[in-house]
Amino acid sequence: MLDWLRGGRASKPATSADDDELFDDEFQRRLDVLALVSRRLVAGRTRAERRSRKTGSGIEFADHRQYAPGDDFRHLDWNLYARTGRLLLRLYEEEEDLSVYILVDVSRSMSFGAPDTKLRYAKKLAAALSYIALANLDRVSIVTFSDEVSQRLAPTRGKNTIFKVFRFLRGLKADGRTGTADAMKTFVAQNRRRGVAILISDLYDPEGFEGGINTLRYHKFEPYVIQVYAPEEVRPPLHGDVRLIDNETGEAREVTITPRVLERYAQAHAAYRARIDDFCTQKHVPHHAVSTELPFDQAILDILRRGGLVT
Amino acid sequence: MELTGLSLTEVLTVLGGFAAAVTVLYLLKLRRRQVEVPFVHLWQQVLAEKQSTRLFSALKRILSWLLALAAVAGLAGAMGDPRHEGASADGRTTVVLVDTSASMQATDVSPDRLGRAREEVTRLVEGLAGDDRMLIASMDATTVPLGPLTGEARVLTDALDRLAPTDVAADLGRGLRFAHDVLRGEPRPRVILVSDGALPDPGSAGARLREAGVEVDWIPIGVGGPNVAITAFSVRRYPLDVSRSEVLTELWNPGEDEASIELSLLGDGEVIDVQRLRIGAGERLRRFFTDVSGADQTLEARVRIEGDVPDAQPADDRAYARLPERRRARVQAVTAGNLYLSAALLLDEYLDVVEVTPADYPAEGRFDVTIFDGWVPATPPDTPVIYLDPRPPEGTTGPFVITGALERPFFDRLERDHPILAFTALGDVNVAESLAVELHEGDRAIASDGRGPLIVVGSRNDHRMVAILFDVRRSDLPLRVAWPLLLLNSIDYFTMQDARYLSSVETGEPWHLAVPTGTEEATLVAPDGSEHPVPVVDGRAVASGLRAGFYHLRTGDTEEVFAANLGPSDEAILTPAEVLEIGGAPAEAPERGTPGVRTEIWMLMVLAVLALLLVEWFTYHRRLTV
Repeated sequence: MLDWLRGGRASKPATSADDDELFDDEFQRRLDVLALVSRRLVAGRTRAERRSRKTGSGIEFADHRQYAPGDDFRHLDWNLYARTGRLLLRLYEEEEDLSVYILVDVSRSMSFGAPDTKLRYAKKLAAALSYIALANLDRVSIVTFSDEVSQRLAPTRGKNTIFKVFRFLRGLKADGRTGTADAMKTFVAQNRRRGVAILISDLYDPEGFEGGINTLRYHKFEPYVIQVYAPEEVRPPLHGDVRLIDNETGEAREVTITPRVLERYAQAHAAYRARIDDFCTQKHVPHHAVSTELPFDQAILDILRRGGLVT
Repeated sequence: MELTGLSLTEVLTVLGGFAAAVTVLYLLKLRRRQVEVPFVHLWQQVLAEKQSTRLFSALKRILSWLLALAAVAGLAGAMGDPRHEGASADGRTTVVLVDTSASMQATDVSPDRLGRAREEVTRLVEGLAGDDRMLIASMDATTVPLGPLTGEARVLTDALDRLAPTDVAADLGRGLRFAHDVLRGEPRPRVILVSDGALPDPGSAGARLREAGVEVDWIPIGVGGPNVAITAFSVRRYPLDVSRSEVLTELWNPGEDEASIELSLLGDGEVIDVQRLRIGAGERLRRFFTDVSGADQTLEARVRIEGDVPDAQPADDRAYARLPERRRARVQAVTAGNLYLSAALLLDEYLDVVEVTPADYPAEGRFDVTIFDGWVPATPPDTPVIYLDPRPPEGTTGPFVITGALERPFFDRLERDHPILAFTALGDVNVAESLAVELHEGDRAIASDGRGPLIVVGSRNDHRMVAILFDVRRSDLPLRVAWPLLLLNSIDYFTMQDARYLSSVETGEPWHLAVPTGTEEATLVAPDGSEHPVPVVDGRAVASGLRAGFYHLRTGDTEEVFAANLGPSDEAILTPAEVLEIGGAPAEAPERGTPGVRTEIWMLMVLAVLALLLVEWFTYHRRLTV
């Protein structure tokens, strides 16, 4: 009621809490727990290393494949050629570091949500995923974007580098318009080493969220989409005659909010989330929509349980 | 309709100004709150659906504008303070005399005549205009204002609630005099009689009212109906057998048709006799109930018309009577021996007689009456006394100064109405000799010879006294019925027992009720149980009552019951009068005002505006008009 009486102030996006308290001791203890739990969840399947089927430097035979012009003759399996008359190349398991890219949307729309903004929540998710990856000896790189890649944390490895991650995340501010497609083009151009690309965003892209995800797919990255939304976005605390202004584009719409209008808006939001889910399912892109009211560690556990992020 | 506040021009100016302002405000684009959202494209779908309702929204907006204009029009109109035509007319002063006499209890109209009168007066109150003022008074034997002279409808309505029927006849003259006093000097005076017209001649009061320029109007009430009334009801005990009574009832059929009736007699609340009679149109019928026993204190008569048509007047269908009290009296008879005296005193079983000789006088105990037979004490006793042949002993003075003797006196002059002589025939009594005496001041000879008194009543030593101035043994009086009657009447005279017919008191009249000596205050308990303190003047309680029935008079520890009935009157006549002559001219039907003429229209308009705002507020918040 007081918010309503205060009029416009109630409709402004909530300010983010102090980032200095974002990664406190409590947060780090919960990260340790998450790392421990994540090991249990993936035990027997991976030891933090990732295997790629490449010919060459590996020592453990994995499989054969048809010879193609240009292949190194040294890997031809002559014994098999003698028995079958077919030219087959020997393939070996090659161990390599997994590159984990965490792509954090820092557009202005990420400043919504209370008490945690979507950006703050995204930072927690990014920090947690980074910690788990570092604990598994993966290479972690964090990239922020809006309509372009804005900041980048150089690939880092080892648990002791988590504080670099914290420092990087603390300094992030929400600004700029969402332009996933352009930003992802820049990202793939800058990062030749393929890996898992965890996209943390609200996916409120006027040009469409599909372009950015497709760019990652086309360039052999393994995208994992985490859509973050605030509960206030599903059912905004609005009523009366209002002028809605997009905080990224400045576009305005006049509308009189009634319970019926709110209901229709909630349906539209649900339809938008369903559209993202359908797209990701079709493209075999793991996708997880998470509300900021869900504790971040619970969200991480849900992500790990669902799989697809760590193989 | 006329405006008593702002003029029409001013109202229209206010209306035009505010209507223009409201219109301009509606034409201004609504300033909306600005709200930042993260992704306005999500609202596009919602807004696209809203587009289709734009026309409807415009209509709703017009409706909202019209509501606002209606509210402005209502308020502007209220500022004009509109009133009905005539609401501001010069006020008139009206006295409404509502007949509350017994005939107004008739049920020939629904709910009854008084109820119909109340409805008529209510309509008069609703029609009050401008500065009109009104006073409502009930008119029966007296005229009592039920409220002040006022123009406040609520006060007048409250006064109407105080109207109550009575069992008395109306006194129109008194009512008109009251109205004349109230209306003296008042503007446009008017009297409205609300009555069935069964009213006595008002005498000169009507003429004086006409001369004073007072308009006299009449609202007739009632249509008439069958009625048989009890117009007289009285009871007496037989003098020589007080355990039985004789009851007289008089019935009257004032209607135009013969009626079959059932007359019931109730003693102490129980039916003791029922008679079925026919009574012709206009007939007065007297009926005696003889040898009535089984009642000790109260009697009640009820009459009912047999058949399908009920009696339309319940007020005169009942009559009440109180039987004379049977109380034992202690009598001291001082005699040297008188067989006739002893035999006469034996006739009344309610007498406790103690005989003593003059030598043994006085006897032990207290007595109500003392009889001195041929002997007189030196000092009179502290009781009422009956003297027989009062000859004082030598050297003493008796109750009279004896001047000689009357030889062979006759009862030449008799006060036949005196209770002591009731039912006696003394005209041919032979007496050998009587005392010739000088009467004291206050003495009264109720039987006398041309030469002097024979029987004297008076008082001695602050007590009543009866003196028979001859020796009954030297007369033929003891051989007659008159002898014991004379004695017993005298004893009853002293002990307040009256052998006459006991007529009940009349409602509406002042009652002078005997109370015990020394009583200073008394309480009258009406038939409905209400209690009223009444004054005591000269040893009698002075009271009055308006309803028939049994009343109780409390004095200290004692309580007396007595009956009150509607007195002789024309209240039984239910046929309404066709014309009511007042002061030589017939009373006219009153001019009735327009109901609601004083309604505060501005208040209704403001209420309507508030209701409109309520609707607008509700529809706004329910998003029906936005």
